[in-house]
Amino acid sequence: MLTREEVLKIAKLARLELTAEEVESYRKKLGRVLEYIHELDSLKTPQDAFVRHVPKDSVAFREDKMIPFPQHAALMKNAPDVEGGSFRLPPVLEES
Amino acid sequence: MNDKYEAIIGLEVHAQLLTRSKMFCTCANHFGADPNTHVCPVCTGQPGSLPVINQSAVELGIRAALALHGNISEESVFARKNYFYPDLPKGYQISQYERPFCNDGHLIVRLKSGGEKRIGITRVHFEEDAGKLVHQGNETLVNLNRAGVPLIEIVSQPDMRNSHEAGQYLRTLRTLLRYAEVCDGNMEEGNFRCDANISVRREGQKEFGTKVELKNINSFRFVEKAIDYEIGRQIELVEKGEKIIQETRGWNSAKNVTEVMREKEEAHDYRYFPEPDLPPLVISIQWQREVEKAMPEMPEAKRERFKNIYGLSDYDAAVLTSSRELADYFEMVAGQSKNPKGSANWVMNELLGKLNASGQEIEESPVSAEYLAELISKIDSNEISGKMAKTVFEEMFETKKSPGLIIKEKGLTQISDSSVLEAAIQKVIAANPEQLKDYRAGKVKLLGFFVGQVMKETQGQGNPALINDLVKKALE
Amino acid sequence: MNIKGTLDSYRKKEFKPSEFIDGILNAISKKNPSLNAFLEVRPEESRGKALELDRRLNEIDHLPLFGIPIAVKDNFLVRGWRATAGSRILANYESPYSATSVERLEAAGAIVVGKTNCDEFAMGSSNENSAFGPAKNPWDLQRVPGGSSGGSAAALAAGLCLGSLGTDTGGSIRQPASLCGLVGLKPSYGRVSRYGIVAFASSLDQVGPFGHTVWDAARILEIMAGYDSKDATSSRTVVPKYTEALANASVKNIAIGIDQKWLEGLDEEVRRAFDKALQGLREKGAKIVDISLPHACYSLSVYYLIAPCEASSNLARYDGVHYGHRTKHPKDSEEVFFKSRGEGFGTEVKLRIMLGTYALSAGYYDAFYLKANQVRKLIQKDFEDAFQLCHCIAVPTSPTTAFKLGERTEDPLTMYLSDIYTLPVNLAGLPGVSLPCGLDSKNLPIGLQLIGKNFEESSLLQVAQAYESHRGVFPEPLAVRGGT
Repeated sequence: MLTREEVLKIAKLARLELTAEEVESYRKKLGRVLEYIHELDSLKTPQDAFVRHVPKDSVAFREDKMIPFPQHAALMKNAPDVEGGSFRLPPVLEES
Repeated sequence: MNDKYEAIIGLEVHAQLLTRSKMFCTCANHFGADPNTHVCPVCTGQPGSLPVINQSAVELGIRAALALHGNISEESVFARKNYFYPDLPKGYQISQYERPFCNDGHLIVRLKSGGEKRIGITRVHFEEDAGKLVHQGNETLVNLNRAGVPLIEIVSQPDMRNSHEAGQYLRTLRTLLRYAEVCDGNMEEGNFRCDANISVRREGQKEFGTKVELKNINSFRFVEKAIDYEIGRQIELVEKGEKIIQETRGWNSAKNVTEVMREKEEAHDYRYFPEPDLPPLVISIQWQREVEKAMPEMPEAKRERFKNIYGLSDYDAAVLTSSRELADYFEMVAGQSKNPKGSANWVMNELLGKLNASGQEIEESPVSAEYLAELISKIDSNEISGKMAKTVFEEMFETKKSPGLIIKEKGLTQISDSSVLEAAIQKVIAANPEQLKDYRAGKVKLLGFFVGQVMKETQGQGNPALINDLVKKALE
Repeated sequence: MNIKGTLDSYRKKEFKPSEFIDGILNAISKKNPSLNAFLEVRPEESRGKALELDRRLNEIDHLPLFGIPIAVKDNFLVRGWRATAGSRILANYESPYSATSVERLEAAGAIVVGKTNCDEFAMGSSNENSAFGPAKNPWDLQRVPGGSSGGSAAALAAGLCLGSLGTDTGGSIRQPASLCGLVGLKPSYGRVSRYGIVAFASSLDQVGPFGHTVWDAARILEIMAGYDSKDATSSRTVVPKYTEALANASVKNIAIGIDQKWLEGLDEEVRRAFDKALQGLREKGAKIVDISLPHACYSLSVYYLIAPCEASSNLARYDGVHYGHRTKHPKDSEEVFFKSRGEGFGTEVKLRIMLGTYALSAGYYDAFYLKANQVRKLIQKDFEDAFQLCHCIAVPTSPTTAFKLGERTEDPLTMYLSDIYTLPVNLAGLPGVSLPCGLDSKNLPIGLQLIGKNFEESSLLQVAQAYESHRGVFPEPLAVRGGT
């Protein structure tokens, strides 16, 4: 079972604002699921095994060609707030 | 720096790759455009968009790795670096984490003391750039033109011990990347960005001191300054017995200090995991060999070739290969004038001096390589004297005109016509009977006087060697 | 009415596309209010496309989906249409481009008649997680159509289209197909492009068709499938003409694998229908062999680690900055993130984002995401081993028939258990198809699932066809009458 602090920490990492009731509700639900998932702990698995889900004959590369996307306007149409062609936001808090 | 202390410096460089299109989409990889015009569903992180790798970007990365003598993995993995920031449209950056494409490597820097130092490179990996934020009053504007531009991140070992070594490392790295045609290496334009990790410890101390990350060094001029300041700041704190806080600081070029950047208290938890939208990156040995074969000539090879083919000294070869542009310029002059030693002399001693004085790079030289070669040829064919050539060169530098045109305009053609010179000599001898008597009496040093007078008479255009011979004969 | 029959009717000039589409649109306007299968319809646009096709009947041989009305799940982008993915956070998002799969269908003459309801971001097994209210099961309007592609299943089962598209990450095509009495196919991972699909779990998502018949599903698949240069995970394997192979479909000497242990505790009625289906296959010459998938029972745990982890990252782009819902009057960028996401995402989505964030966070990666992927490899290997002994594997699609609205919304695990027979197939990247095989005592459909070898949809569809031919016509839902 996760603690309240742990739930708040996760919500912060995921940028989800939760009400106090939600924190408690998620705490219980997460606990429920994590409890079930713990059945994997006892399974022996080789260390290096990692699934390759991508088909072996896929093509990851493309040629270095410049092909512009013709509908910029369509991309900006869904923007909540635009100024001079840029997305506008209230002040950004932190440097990355 | 205080002798009791040792500084440990590591550098992280982000270099933008010279591709036509972005890392994972076909948008243009160049700036200057209006905001959000070089964008598409992929680089703006629209729902449903997927990345596809720019093959050329990988090729340039391979070149960089080869130039840095790195170990290229045949299979490496792209990974997602997850964090929230307005310039990061997907909420994650596609990068490489546990398995970068290149491990280990090194480069050799030349120090002002004359010695060399080998700086190790921990890793090189691919990543995509983020967009740009512009803070404007009470709002922030986001432009995603730069989002998705291909980068390589080059992480050095913490092998540098002072700001000079750090500066030389950056200059050398920049030269290598420019030589390999991987990156433009322009810090002001932001296509070559550097962060430094700096700590200090008492001489002889085993443990490392607390590392401070230094960002916002956006010019080669600031590198040494910023690092020196930070080292000084840390030593001062340690001397006072105070703790050094592990934090990120930025260089303030107006105040000439490093300042704390507003930063989260906890370290970022990037929750790296392998990028599920891409298969592993396969760089076969065969591909590496192909890239190696097609590599542009690198500085060390070029230096050796200059020594062998042009008979240049090690020092001269080093100076002339300090940049691709300079090396190419020199070779053009040498090739056209067919006088490599003369070309080296003129480029290094005359041209570079004037360019440094006017703060210009070789690419901006008002004297073109062709014209300089032409000038050298004219000296070699005795059309003008070496001394006269210097005057012509000054004029070439000022006006960008060809030597031929300048010589014509100013009537500076060297006089090698014996009859013209004889006439001048006779005139001079007639005007100086006393000196003639003294010379014939034994004062042979006066030959120089007569030669000088003849040069004056011919407005400096007389062929000095010929004048010398003819005067000697005439004075007998 | 089905795709094959309609194409025939068009050829015989029994009616024109504009007439047929008109009928479909009228049926939609009449029935959708009670079904809530469609979230967006554009009658003028659809009618316009149909009118255009009226004049192009001579091209029908080159347009394999000529005039066929298709419903598309709302987590597909179709240019000019909204793509909500069942979420408030994308309630007004207008697609700037079209998904490759949809483009290919439209190029083949299909007409998109609407975007269908689904669980938010494809997370759910009942369509009750939609921000726009649940879709209802045409067999019983008090019951769920299944999820997450509930709307696509409901629309087809109610006759409001002739084929529909869904996505399947853990069973989201096959399970609704089972609950609504339809054919629902999840192709092999990488068979159909994911470009233009709102991503949920990148290593598991696949696009697939719903059809009334195996032939219809095969027709849609053969048009959509194939390498797409915009999707680095799509395969270059040639796409066969699936419909052509169906003509002489036979299961003579085909070995069908059953894992008896896996079926323990199964609902009696479902078990009976399943056994009857197997008997039918036996009568047609198939051999039933015993196989074992010892790690399949861990599928739920593996899935509920891998999918939320990938989803937590895929959904980070919904941050209120450059599209989607942004909170009103944010005072700084952090409020933009926290409040927009807090307001825009529903409960189940937030739960899975947090689960995934936790499982990827510092110190937990090895125990969770890495471990889950290692067990996933074991599950994959189980299937590989089983396929040494059989050509395809049979299992019920869903352990139960359609449950009532609200019945499983309390405890997340109860809902998750709806997918125990479908999850392993996604984890192994294999193709799976659900076929209606019976009705229970409440007149609700039961589904038979067939699982095939990687990239062998052709063989899989042939077995499916053979079963369908043997079974005969499957009844239509009684709950929603009227219309065409």
